[in-house]
Amino acid sequence: MIDNYRAIEGNSSSYFSLLALFGTFVAIGAGAFFYIEHNGHGVTNMTNQVVWGLPHVFAISLLVMASGALNLASMATVFGAKHYKQFRRFSAFLAIALLAGGLAVLVLDLGRPDRMLLTMIHMNFKSMFTWNVFLYSGFIVMCFLYLWTMMQHERFVKLAGSAAFGFRLILTTGTGSIFGVIAARDMFHSAITAPTFIAVSLSAGTALSLILLVVTFRSTGREMDIKLVHGLRNMLVFFTLLVAYLIVVEKFTSLYAPNTDDVAHYVLGGAHKMLYWGGVVVIGVLLPLLVLFMPASGNSVGGIVFASICSIAGEMAFIAHVLFAGQAYPFDMFPGYEITSVFLDGSVGVYWPSLVELLLGLGGMAITGLIYILGIKFFRLLPKKAVAPEGWAPWSP
Amino acid sequence: MTMDRRSVLGLGGAAAAGVMLAPGLHLIAAPNKTEADGNKRWAMLIDVNKCASDCTACTSACRTENNVPMFGDPTRDIHWIRKVELKDKSGRRPSVSLPVLCNHCEEPPCVHVCPTEASFVRKDGIVLVDKHRCIGCRYCMIACPYKARSLVYHKTKLPEGGNPDVPIRGSGVVEKCTFCVHRVDDGKLPACVEACNREGHGAMLFGDLNDPESEIAKRIKSVPTTTVRKDLGLEPHVHYQGL
Repeated sequence: MIDNYRAIEGNSSSYFSLLALFGTFVAIGAGAFFYIEHNGHGVTNMTNQVVWGLPHVFAISLLVMASGALNLASMATVFGAKHYKQFRRFSAFLAIALLAGGLAVLVLDLGRPDRMLLTMIHMNFKSMFTWNVFLYSGFIVMCFLYLWTMMQHERFVKLAGSAAFGFRLILTTGTGSIFGVIAARDMFHSAITAPTFIAVSLSAGTALSLILLVVTFRSTGREMDIKLVHGLRNMLVFFTLLVAYLIVVEKFTSLYAPNTDDVAHYVLGGAHKMLYWGGVVVIGVLLPLLVLFMPASGNSVGGIVFASICSIAGEMAFIAHVLFAGQAYPFDMFPGYEITSVFLDGSVGVYWPSLVELLLGLGGMAITGLIYILGIKFFRLLPKKAVAPEGWAPWSP
Repeated sequence: MTMDRRSVLGLGGAAAAGVMLAPGLHLIAAPNKTEADGNKRWAMLIDVNKCASDCTACTSACRTENNVPMFGDPTRDIHWIRKVELKDKSGRRPSVSLPVLCNHCEEPPCVHVCPTEASFVRKDGIVLVDKHRCIGCRYCMIACPYKARSLVYHKTKLPEGGNPDVPIRGSGVVEKCTFCVHRVDDGKLPACVEACNREGHGAMLFGDLNDPESEIAKRIKSVPTTTVRKDLGLEPHVHYQGL
């Protein structure tokens, strides 16, 4: 079995250029971290109203995508889609790389990152953050175990793969619940928040896997049957429709109830409406669906990759919207009253990310990129040739 | 020594497992952090009818007593207590002015979400932040419905003439009203209440709710009072009269 896989050569100038590019961004991200650490969060543009800024968008997007990146492996191991079996290693390794990048940003954006170990010494099991410490580290363990069984103990793959699949659902539920359980914030507090995070992770994780497979295979001169790309496209269509459904149901419910329609009106027409309509709805849902359903673009690799890029951008817009709009929307402490104060009570929070926040976030992405390109060079993660079963014909527009 | 790639993966997995399991070695409840009297339940009652909109005696006293820093940036200035102005949207009720501070809830969401137990409830109900344990994750600020918490965005130092009894908080941690715990433990009133009695209009009352003979317990029993965001079930210990 191991002969089917081959590490990339990784000797070309373009490989080293990519390595240097990611390395540079990791270094810049590290510089941004030390700058914030030395000067305090005052050098960011976060405020006492919007306390989680752009680094959290990068961190949570990567963490959510990590769960989704395991899709291909789960499809093969848990749901018996044998034609994706050849991507299982890639899938599990990518999940680890994404998680590492996301966690790095999350930890480095703490007010006191030097105290990170305290999360492992003093634990509060009522806190979703505490649970997430276990979920993130546990997910990495699961992925390593899964990889190990794939490489050496095939007979345990089903067990390890099923456990990893279950864990990833719990992981993303945990990430979504960081927001969903917060009763004080009308925009967060919903039982549907966590399932929506799962749907978003499925679409963005599939989209990223698709892009990386196409680019890696093309740039290393490997063959990949177009039917596999079409199969992934169909998964992306399904998951994007799932995201659309959950978003519509959530907004419909909010608009229907008089006590939450103010929040829904803010989402649809308030200060962050462009992020919602432009980023989440148009770029994240409508554009990918349009591209993927049109025969000309939906059957071309270029069109499918474009739709995947849109899907990832939509995922980041979704996370950014949840975070920024959710925090900027003022607390309604005294219903029926307009409230003003020197602490800006009653005002919509204003936040524009600073450069240093952007660089920290990009540093996290670069960590993921670096781990990925090193991984495919040093480990046999990808098949020499990706083949689709004869007679298998995925649906096409 | 050389290692094959599977060993590297195995070691990676083992390291991650170590990170995951290490916390399990510490699953012992944290020791009690204070020797506060568990029979007491400190609370505050604010009579909105007596609170004048042009009076900021409580907020000024708090700032001086607790060395609460101002950075000259309204989005980052720290307020342990602030005056808010309320204007009825329908115009039927008169506008009112009242102080808002940490409500020292019986079921504090900030304590529930704090991953390191830096936010905790003393036995007497006062909600505090251990500034040495806070990692600055800001989850408590997300969870508090009273906007009672602030992150220290800039480095601070004890102001000239500042109160040496209250240490300043370093940047990167979250801080909030302590009900002037250092004064309460000395048998004094919180600075805001004392200032309201001295310079204001006596709108603030502080005491032990568990003591049926206390003024606050009697008032809460005899006059209609309310709490903010009662619907959340947090059982706040800051009560308002005339709202």
